[in-house]
Parts: sequence; C-alpha cells; structure tokens
Amino acid sequence: MTKTTFKTNHSLSRRLALAAAAASLAAALPAAAHHSQSEFDFQKSVTVEGTVTELSWKSPHARLYVDVVNEKGEVENWNFELPSPTTLMRRGWTRKSLQPGDIVTVTAAPARDFPTIAYARSIRDANGEPMFTGVTEIIEPERASEESGGSTP
Amino acid sequence: MHALFRSTSTFLRSRPSFDRAAARRVKVALLVLGTCPAAALAQWLDYPTPGIPRTADGKPDLSAPAPRTPEGKPDFSGIWFANVPARDMCPGGDCIQEERMAREQINIGINLEGGLPYTQWSREQMVLRQQDGGVHDPHMRCMPPNFPRAWTLPQHIKIVQTPDLMVLLHEFNAAYREVFLDGRPLPEDPNPTWNGYSTAHWEGDTLVIETIGIRDDMWLDIQGSPVTESARVTERLKRVNFGLMEVEIAVDDPKAYTRPWSVTIEMAYQADTTMLEEICLDDEQNVRMHFPQ
Repeated sequence: MTKTTFKTNHSLSRRLALAAAAASLAAALPAAAHHSQSEFDFQKSVTVEGTVTELSWKSPHARLYVDVVNEKGEVENWNFELPSPTTLMRRGWTRKSLQPGDIVTVTAAPARDFPTIAYARSIRDANGEPMFTGVTEIIEPERASEESGGSTP
Repeated sequence: MHALFRSTSTFLRSRPSFDRAAARRVKVALLVLGTCPAAALAQWLDYPTPGIPRTADGKPDLSAPAPRTPEGKPDFSGIWFANVPARDMCPGGDCIQEERMAREQINIGINLEGGLPYTQWSREQMVLRQQDGGVHDPHMRCMPPNFPRAWTLPQHIKIVQTPDLMVLLHEFNAAYREVFLDGRPLPEDPNPTWNGYSTAHWEGDTLVIETIGIRDDMWLDIQGSPVTESARVTERLKRVNFGLMEVEIAVDDPKAYTRPWSVTIEMAYQADTTMLEEICLDDEQNVRMHFPQ
C-alpha cells in the first residue's frame, strides 16, 4: 500500500538553473520565506505514499505527517512542510482537508540533513486527485497581465 | 453549491412520497446558503467586497477609475498584494502553483539598471548577511514586516485611509504601520524602529509618504540589501485605476548607498477576500527546526 521512490526532477533542475543564473544573487534562492536556502534540495524529488497521521495547521508553515512503510517494512513518520495556512486557505484548503487515516501520495523536495523531512510539492488524495499546495517555484515571475490583474487565486 | 442544489433538486423530484412543500423549503434553504457561501463555508475568503465597481457579470471592475474620498482625494483603502500572476502548472500530472511573490522580494533593485549603488559598507554587510544560507534574515526569523520591504512580502496588506491618518495592516505577524496626514512634522532625533516614522502629504493625486527613524540593521530584501538609520525613504502612491496601485520607493541612505535611488512596485487590488492572520511564531518548533543552531 505504501511505497517510496526517489528521482531527480530534471525539468525543475533546468528551471532552477536558469533562475539562478538570472538572479543577481548567485546562491540558490529560498523556495519559501522561513527556512534556510540550503535546508531542502529542490533539485531532487521524492515520492511517497502513506497514511496521514496529522495536519499541523500553524504558521509559518503547515505540516503534514504521514506514516510510510519503508523498504525494510518499517513504519517511518514523514514530516512534509507545506506553505503557510493562509496561503493554503486561499487555495481552498481548510485545516480539515486532510485527516488522520487519509491515504495520500506526496511528491516533495527532500531535506538535506533529515531523511524523513521534505518540502511538499504536490499531494494526491486516495483517488489520485491532485491537491494544490502552492509551492514556490524559483521561476522569474512575470508581471500580471491586464486580464489576470493579479487577482486572488 | 449550484451543483449541490441541482443534484438535491433531482433527488427530491425522484422521490414521489416526498412532500412538495417540504421540497420547496429545502430548496429555499439551499438557495439561502448559496447566496452566502463564504459565511457558511470559509470565513470571509469569498465574501463579496461591498461598494466596489463591478462589471455586468458581477466581477470586480479592475479597470474602473480610481475611487475618491469625500474630500476628493484618491482613496487607497482596500486589500493589496504585489501585482504578480498566479500560475498553476501540472507537469507530469502533479499540480503545483508558483507562489505569488514580487521579484523585488529577492532583490529590491532587480529592475534598476545597473543594480543598487551599494557603498563598501553595504557590500561588506551583505557578505555577512548571506552567510549560512540566509538564516540571518529577520523575516526568516519571524521578525516584524518592515516597510518598505513589507510591500514585497507574500502576504496581504490592508489600507485604511482617513483624511488625517492612513493605517497599513499587514497579515504577517498581524502588524500595523501608521502614516500621519495631519500636518505634523517628522520627529527630531527619533528612537529608531522597524518602520520608522511616517508623515504624508498630497502632490496632486499622488500621496507622498516621508519616513525617517528606521533602525540601523534593517533589510530591504532576501539578499540583504541594507537600509539604515541614516535613511530618508519617500514612497509615492498612485492609484492608476481601481485595480492597480503604483508604489514608487525612493531611498536616500548615504550610509548604505552611494546615491539616492528609486524603484516602482505594482500592487493589485484584492477583491472579495479578507485579511488572514499569519503569526509567524505560531509554530515555534517549526522555526527552531530551521535554525537548529
């Protein structure tokens, strides 16, 4: 029922490289406001499937805890960082969007120093339906067109 | 809600034993819920902002003329966010959304030809500030949002405007800033603060905000561009139309910059939404996790 796969997101890597080259700051730029630039490796991607144990609904980042069975058959409790609850609420989430027992598949950028901590990029529910997480991508933003007007998503 | 109403209506019609009057009552109740889904479902995140111009289909008319106060001045009241688009992407079937943020959040001078004119002191400061992966950034440490940097942060700003006072409310740490329009002078020898001390006056339809008394160790962006106690910051607010505001930020700070400079940031009006409290230290353990030292 649960699985763990690791892969490198090459497409994202290219975008990251382009963005980094365009930025005046040579170092990698933070993908969210409240953690170190080096905490997560956004050039890697990990996908796990497991059972939700808790959705922590606090600033500066919501967190999703998921029990995952690793390759040895042991249960590991993963800690996925999400955007702030306010960002998630504007994407339609509530503090009850995921509840203990829900089955999810999470694709995330792994932490460099902690094997079961990661920054969630996308989440799929038990039916495979994607849930937007509002993850920052390091892409050169464009000015809003008149049509979009920068309206609230 | 409309889909729920349709499916409920179909369900009711399919049950001949169901009393038609009861069915009507249920449908009326659902219609009432449907007219105020925000109040019933999600705080006021979708509650229609009253009194704003709308197009024939009910959407906010962002291209309408800028509103004015009873005194005839442009009215900046409302909720604002950096004018950047929301972009959803689903590469490989996994959907993500680029977090909306002004590029100036990273480098406030990114659109300034030649970049910011840093003094040697500033360059040395930035080397120190960029050490250890950015953990020295006050914003990452959940400290208050400081203007003018606060314009670029990815939280909403609400302006409440009266003839004598403008108040800017910031979602991040539920912070506030006062801008006095009552003719008072800027203070002499002020005690430095995160936002400094601000007064404003009108130049035509432009609100000109003058600020001094900023702390000596403030950051203007993620890369650590300084603003110091020697700074005089002038913000010029222009409401281009209902949906758009231009904020020109001019910084004269001889300690940090070899010459005065200015940049302009666009802010987009946020209709049919509400301010959401975001207390950064709400999850102190979360923050400590990022700074284990």
